[in-house]
Amino acid sequence: MHWAGADTEATRQRVRVGRVIEPLTYVVVALACLLFVGAVYYAVKDRLVDDRLLAVAGLVEIGLLVLLVLGLTGLGEITDSTEKATFVAYLITLPVIPIGTSLLTIKEKSRWAMGSMAVGAFGVAVMAVRLQQIWNTYA
Amino acid sequence: MPEPTRRALGGPGVVLVVVYGLLALAATGRSVLQILSDYGRAPLAYTLSAVAAAVYILATWCLARGGKWVRVGTWACTIELVGVLVVGAASYLFPDAFPDKTVWSHFGQGYGFVPLVLPVLGLLWFRKVERDAAAAERAQADTRTSAAG
Repeated sequence: MHWAGADTEATRQRVRVGRVIEPLTYVVVALACLLFVGAVYYAVKDRLVDDRLLAVAGLVEIGLLVLLVLGLTGLGEITDSTEKATFVAYLITLPVIPIGTSLLTIKEKSRWAMGSMAVGAFGVAVMAVRLQQIWNTYA
Repeated sequence: MPEPTRRALGGPGVVLVVVYGLLALAATGRSVLQILSDYGRAPLAYTLSAVAAAVYILATWCLARGGKWVRVGTWACTIELVGVLVVGAASYLFPDAFPDKTVWSHFGQGYGFVPLVLPVLGLLWFRKVERDAAAAERAQADTRTSAAG
């Protein structure tokens, strides 16, 4: 009886994590796309990074950190070792990108630095979609 | 007069360092986890992934540091280019040897062919940094000669 109860609780928790991961990924991808477009616009206009763009990068970062915690919580779902390795590697890599590119744009203050932020944002969007693909296969 | 510095982290180098850093992080994490969890499944592919990851870390470091590392970076990009070409061709010719994908298999197809294009861009950039520094050194030498004369 005790074990059945524990199983049900585990299933409930899994469903909760799964329900949150998918919409959160879409929000993160949308914000990353916004950051990408913003960074490309700034690069074209030869504008330097400002608080507005950094705020978007900050929102992407928060989303990625929440995704990291949720993803690690639901890691047991992914049974294939290679897919699990990719999932964890991407989960950990993702939050580093907005921080790294933001610091670069603050330090470098050039059109190319805005390009690096755009490339980073694009990378975040692609990797987040890949995470979701792996998650959907197993969970 | 200060010696001309080989600064690789400027201009296009800023974009390159982000792409290299991204690949270095993702490839390192993935290959370490693959080797630790199930090495027997595809030892060749996982070992090659680890080698690729190490080369990406080295290239990222060289881009960030510049100076004497520019020459090391040129070597890293060369190894990377040879790696992606050899492993890419081998993955088509001997598919049985690659039950699992690596960054370099199928010429980096799984990563949008970025691993194929990146070493070429890296080599071009390191060459430009090297040439600019050499030109600056020549200009300095000329100035010294005319000042002495």
